[in-house]
Amino acid sequence: MLLPDYYEFCCRVKIVAGHDALEKIPDLLIERGAKKPLVITDKGVAGAGLTDIVSRAIGDRVDAGLIADDVPPDSDLRVVNRLARLYRDNACDAIIAVGGGSVMDTAKGINIVVSENAEDLMAFSGVGALKRPLKPLIAIPTTAGTGSEVTQVAVIKDHEKHLKMAFGSYFLLPDIAILDSRMTLTMPPFITAMTGMDAMSHAVEAYYCLQKNPLSDAHSLAAVGMIYRYLPLAAKNPEDRDSRLAMAVAACLAGIAFSNSMVGLVHNLGHATGSVCGVPHGLCMAILLPYGLEYNLHKRANVMAELLLPIAGEQVYLATPPEQRAQKVVSLIRGLNENLHAITGGRHARCLQEIKDREGKPSVPRDILPQIASAALLDGASIYNPEDTDYEDNRMVLEAAWEGKPLDRTRVKKG
Amino acid sequence: MNSAAVFAFTCPVKTNSGNKALENLPVELAGLNAVNPLVVANARAVGPKAVRTLMSAFGDSGMTLGLFEGVTEATDLGVVDHLKNICLEKKYDAFIALGGGKAADVAKVLNLAVSLKTPDARRLLPEAPVRKRLLPLVVVAAAGADGLETSQLACLSRMVFSSEWLAPALAVLDPRLARAKNGIQMAATGLAALGRAVESHISADQNPFRKAYSFAAIRFVRENLLSAVADPGNRKAALAVLNSAAMSGCAFSNAASGRLHKLGQVFYDLLGIPQGVIMGMGLPLVLGDALREGRYDLAALFQPLAGDDAFAQTPAEKRPEAALAMLNRFLEDLRSVLGKELPKSLREAGVPGYRKEEILDVLGQDEDGPYLRGVVERMADGERERKG
Repeated sequence: MLLPDYYEFCCRVKIVAGHDALEKIPDLLIERGAKKPLVITDKGVAGAGLTDIVSRAIGDRVDAGLIADDVPPDSDLRVVNRLARLYRDNACDAIIAVGGGSVMDTAKGINIVVSENAEDLMAFSGVGALKRPLKPLIAIPTTAGTGSEVTQVAVIKDHEKHLKMAFGSYFLLPDIAILDSRMTLTMPPFITAMTGMDAMSHAVEAYYCLQKNPLSDAHSLAAVGMIYRYLPLAAKNPEDRDSRLAMAVAACLAGIAFSNSMVGLVHNLGHATGSVCGVPHGLCMAILLPYGLEYNLHKRANVMAELLLPIAGEQVYLATPPEQRAQKVVSLIRGLNENLHAITGGRHARCLQEIKDREGKPSVPRDILPQIASAALLDGASIYNPEDTDYEDNRMVLEAAWEGKPLDRTRVKKG
Repeated sequence: MNSAAVFAFTCPVKTNSGNKALENLPVELAGLNAVNPLVVANARAVGPKAVRTLMSAFGDSGMTLGLFEGVTEATDLGVVDHLKNICLEKKYDAFIALGGGKAADVAKVLNLAVSLKTPDARRLLPEAPVRKRLLPLVVVAAAGADGLETSQLACLSRMVFSSEWLAPALAVLDPRLARAKNGIQMAATGLAALGRAVESHISADQNPFRKAYSFAAIRFVRENLLSAVADPGNRKAALAVLNSAAMSGCAFSNAASGRLHKLGQVFYDLLGIPQGVIMGMGLPLVLGDALREGRYDLAALFQPLAGDDAFAQTPAEKRPEAALAMLNRFLEDLRSVLGKELPKSLREAGVPGYRKEEILDVLGQDEDGPYLRGVVERMADGERERKG
């Protein structure tokens, strides 16, 4: 087990998980001296009845009746300030965020405003500007993939000034993450598949990229095995509560791993593809993950090989010669994408050319790949990738991922 | 995943491990809004060099820090009360525990008393719930650590305080402070980590978060303890053992209090024997009993104890016994390096009969008393667990 010359690891979030985890919320709030939380969510989550489930589970031991369910998908400073006013006007003392990334970021922004009595949120942007604990924040993720319930960053847009403010602090970590199977039971198979593969990409990249450490490794190893086993089950049987809970736990483990070890080429190209073409992040991760492994294989084969046992189990591990184990991991992850493609009736794209918009048109036309390759050069995730990348490398990987053919590893420059 | 019950896991401890980790302390403290920390140390236990190394890490940071290096094994709540008054007067806003054992216990309880502005720390009661975030606490691990530094437990004046708020915000593991005085001190640290990590795994309500910490701790002990014991100058191995101790404390905080831990604690409290020495002696017995009871996941333990290849090659039904056999071999290997310094029995450890009776009396008051007394009797002459 690798011990780096130096590493840092931190996840102070209390994890509470189970089929009835939501029912613990009143006790958890009371333990923290809170009794009137502001619940924030978005229309989609509320429309799916998830906030009703949360409210029923909380009951009347604390006053959780104030629900703001209109956080937009591209939340911004105005939303943060409006909801912070709502929090203050109603003398709230905690925040419960139910939803995905936008809701979580908004909750973190509100928490800075109300805890620091801030007029200007910008004063707290950057890393390390926060110096003390904020109000209790409970995060309830409604997908199993992003890991945003355990990340210490938030991005808030200011649409009026055309600014994006980034915040980074351990004080932004939610106090508590509630992982409850009821929150994902209604998630459709194709979203289950892509968000689950997002989690897989977190766990795998965290394991082979440069800033890995023994604790991120431990979380990655636990996550990859659970995702490989339970993701197809959850996609095939959406109402299987045990698979849903396992995926929620695995995504959280993967989120802890990557937020402490960073990620590499897969996220680098995935961010660029997402921003240039507007395609879902999880789908980019699913498609690009085998290519990230192939691209870095010559540098990290031994490390990647260690993923085979948790993914495939003893029989496959023993049947695969040590020098072929890393390659086997690549083919199993590719096989997982194939399996999810079949389970979702083809909606889980296996390559970039298969991604379609709502009208059925290709979302990633081949002639846009150069633009994505250029955009990726501006993304910081490549810093932690084991092998260096440049524009040509990005193009090569994107072309292969577009076609859906394994990478020609003889063309990978070995730096 | 079949999880009938809700589980919870929390590890509030940030880990900074490696070269020059100490030099990051001023920045870390500033990030916690602390400008005036008090260092709490047992200077006799860690040595003056460790104190100097820590203090000099603050170099030109501009941060002033207080130093109380007079912690001893006799330090009790009365001393804590005295220190609390000084802290309130001098407005210390954070605590740095240097080294393990009593220094960490004192720093945790002192933090509790100062943060709550307790009128009389001598009247602190372990059962009183803590509902308030305390001031930042940093533990700087040093040779002699036992893993409890990173836990949410503090033992003082024969009382055990337990609250997630007692756990430190940061654990600093720096290779300059990792070198043990001798092989047995290093072995005790590693065996305490191993014991608590194993016990965390077989504790009720398993969950993957706790397992991540406990298995990482076990692997690090297996891969590094022998090297660290055989060569005290092996900084990398020593640092890995300190890492395993820190991980084991986090895992143990999320487990029901273990039997092995109780044994280690009582021998340390009454006789000053390092917890790891007793835990290493009792581990095969407790694990052997767990094997016979058959309700623990001992098969999984074989993986961190033996490595991936041996785990995969061993049929599932043979793994529990193989885990026990592997553990016994590991202890034998340690003894082959340390000889009688690592005692096999209470007799070898020089525990006279009347002191053993004292131990049995104290254990008799514990809920696990009958079981623990039986283990102590078996440890007296060094009964070895032959299974596996």
